[in-house]
Amino acid sequence: MDNVILTTRAITKEFPGVKALDSVDFDLRSGEVHILVGENGAGKSTLSKVILGAYIPEGGEIYLGDEKVSFKSTRDALQRGIAAVYQEFTLIPYLNVAQNIFFNREPRNKYGLIDHKKMERDAKKLLESLNCDYINVKLPTKFLSVAEQQMVEIAKALSFNPRIMVFDEPTATLSEREVESLFRRIKKLKESGIGIIYVSHRMQEFKHIGDRITVLRDGKKIATVNIDEVNDMELVNMMVGRDISQVYHRSENHFTGEVLRTEKLSDKKGRVKEVDITLNKGEIVGIAGLVGAGRTELARLIFGIDPIGGGKLFIKGKEIKDNSPVKIVKEGVGMVCEDRKRMGLALNHSVMWNTVAVSLKSFFPKLLISHKKIVEIVTDYVKQLRVATPDIYRACKNLSGGNQQKVVLAKWLSANTDIMIFDEPTRGIDVGAKMEIYAMMDKLATEGKSILMISSELPEVIGMSDRIYIMNNGRIVGECKRGELSADQIGALMLGVGGDSCAS
Amino acid sequence: MKKYMETLRRSQSFYSYIGLALVFIIASVIVKEFLTFDNIITVLRQGSILLILSTGLTAVILTGNMDLSVGASSGLVGCICAQLLRAGLPIPLVFLIGLLAGALVGVFNGFLVGIVKLPSFVATYGTNWVVAGLSIIIMHGDIIYGLPKGFTWFGTGYVGPIPFIIIFALVIVIIAYILLQKTTLGRDIYAYGSNKDAALFSAVPIKKTLFSAFIMSGLTAAIAGMLMTARLNAADATMGDTYGLQTVAAVVVGGTSMLGGEGGITGTVIGAMLLTIIVNVMNLLGISSFAQPMVVGFVIVVMVLFDSYSRRKQNTVVRRKQPQTN
Ligand SMILES: Nc1ncnc2c1ncn2[C@@H]1O[C@H](COP(=O)(O)OP(=O)(O)OP(=O)(O)O)[C@@H](O)[C@H]1O
Ligand SMILES: [Mg+2]
Repeated sequence: MDNVILTTRAITKEFPGVKALDSVDFDLRSGEVHILVGENGAGKSTLSKVILGAYIPEGGEIYLGDEKVSFKSTRDALQRGIAAVYQEFTLIPYLNVAQNIFFNREPRNKYGLIDHKKMERDAKKLLESLNCDYINVKLPTKFLSVAEQQMVEIAKALSFNPRIMVFDEPTATLSEREVESLFRRIKKLKESGIGIIYVSHRMQEFKHIGDRITVLRDGKKIATVNIDEVNDMELVNMMVGRDISQVYHRSENHFTGEVLRTEKLSDKKGRVKEVDITLNKGEIVGIAGLVGAGRTELARLIFGIDPIGGGKLFIKGKEIKDNSPVKIVKEGVGMVCEDRKRMGLALNHSVMWNTVAVSLKSFFPKLLISHKKIVEIVTDYVKQLRVATPDIYRACKNLSGGNQQKVVLAKWLSANTDIMIFDEPTRGIDVGAKMEIYAMMDKLATEGKSILMISSELPEVIGMSDRIYIMNNGRIVGECKRGELSADQIGALMLGVGGDSCAS
Repeated sequence: MKKYMETLRRSQSFYSYIGLALVFIIASVIVKEFLTFDNIITVLRQGSILLILSTGLTAVILTGNMDLSVGASSGLVGCICAQLLRAGLPIPLVFLIGLLAGALVGVFNGFLVGIVKLPSFVATYGTNWVVAGLSIIIMHGDIIYGLPKGFTWFGTGYVGPIPFIIIFALVIVIIAYILLQKTTLGRDIYAYGSNKDAALFSAVPIKKTLFSAFIMSGLTAAIAGMLMTARLNAADATMGDTYGLQTVAAVVVGGTSMLGGEGGITGTVIGAMLLTIIVNVMNLLGISSFAQPMVVGFVIVVMVLFDSYSRRKQNTVVRRKQPQTN
């Protein structure tokens, strides 16, 4: 094929206990978006990292055009024009946005000192090209939301002016608005002849921007096809190797009694403003909104991470005054938070200890713990959620992104709380596992548990929720029951346009 | 057996085990007095105080913090007890007050680090001076000799052929091991040290956990101080000073990560014994006490070097400077 800019031949990469890549052939043309799909742990990130020089493969060859290359580090790959947006964050939290983007290659002025003015100006230009001029380039990145950090990562990758770009699940942390800006940008990159490798679990994106698609399963390449030659179901079947039919399923359910209510609840930083919501027993309530609408802040407030600034919070009829996670969990509330690396997991600890981090106290109220019982419990959850790990003693940092997310879920499932707050529960999870999680949520609700779900994937919110609140700029701006509003109507409310809420 | 070796090799303290085994073998070969019952008892007895101090400190270091006040605290408790005994208080009451004083130092450190949010390195260094100053005030610059027999027995008595102090240290080690490995508090300490934010989101009572760790360290410092006083049959304001940094060395040589969340009591036992054996062997060989600190320092550096090398090796799959990604 002509204009192929990158080829890999029989790439093999092993980790202790897993063959992450098994003789994978892959090629990328200039001006195309080549999508990589597969289940969690299929080897997508590993293949990307081999191409990026972050991993050195045990076998196989990489060609840039006709020239054989072997990268010893990401620096080598960068020099050859291959840049990446990684699946997880690589920003340095204490450096500001501009410093992060130009880290280690800061522009100099004529005295040889760092030219902050120019650096900030350039950073601003890059962010503007992504429609993100609202991000303050002088702010340390630790103050940014996950989505904003992600846009900074993208800006950083763009700043290298690469010939080949790898995006590893770039949209997992973004909401619709940013996704659109990103796609517009990607289309421009395509036009200018850049080759793009794009890893994602979101089927609806493939048709939108993809040209060809390569499916990996268990480290092997299953197929490479043109995007308009396959339909979704065929793709899913290739990915998981079995038939899957329905995506969202909700059982009929009766809601009995209120378990959580907020009255004009506000935080201290003005990111949550006078929020009134209720949650009933057995109900799944979704909160839709753009990134920065205050959804995560609301969740943090309810869970006791941030102090209450005003208004009231009732859990099972009891007013909660001094909220702290310890107290809230005692009341039976659990929370799967959006940033698994920073807040969800102790990465250098094993799957086992992470899974029981919350539930240990309830399993062993009498101080002493039993290793044997823990192993039993954890093994059970690992099976139930199909966490792909050689054993439960593996450190979480060695798991693929989606499997890390499953460990976070296992942690809260084992804690068995009556009320669950899910903040982006399916982020980075493959289609098969997603459906398992939806089924699990449905089952939890049928068992009488209540779920508050925040998600940037609107289809997921609409598909799973019995009721939806729409948030904009810290406030609840709309509410509707299942099936009452269309995706477009909800989308309009999220943006702060659109009519009144169709209150129930 | 193979599986056992695998766990051993993967354990954080792997190089400490090897270090201890090596030193032990070399010592037995080059010094024939080394592997005698009497000498082994001597080593254990000499090591007990260091061992007790390091068990508590292990808890603090596992949280990712540091306690530089343990040496001075043990001195303070020794001085308090000596003064109280001289004043004629009953021994059990003196023990109790001693423990309380140690716990209070722990609470004070916990307060500075957990509530005021000072970096523990600086905070406990400050505590170290405060506590050392208190000891001097309590002692008026004196040294107290001649304590009641009932008290000194704890430092000098025997149970059969074995000095009581060794048994005592063993008991403390076992308690600390159980606390850290077999209780929810222990797991909370590990969770805190590995990722404080994740611990908060997992409903770990983070303040309580931090205080507990510092209190453990304060308590072991108190116990060590009292045993030291009992063994010397004397108290002096500066008697704990040399232990401060030695204790840190014992924990770190034992493979507990200064970043927190990794390591444990087993490693600490090895670390403390390793340091003690080296000094013992040098004494047996008649190496001048002037040269000894240099050798000890060298061993510490080598052990920590091996340790960080092994840690790095576990992470070689990622060759980039950025935080590990997936
Ligand atoms: N650093 C590592 N050490 C050990 N095993 C690893 C490491 N990185 C990845 N693996 C393993 O290699 C396999 C492939 O992982 P990879 O991250 O490539 O999956 P992925 O396709 O990107 O999955 P996801 O969709 O969850 O991101 C997994 O089984 C994973 O556990
Ligand atoms: Mg991945």
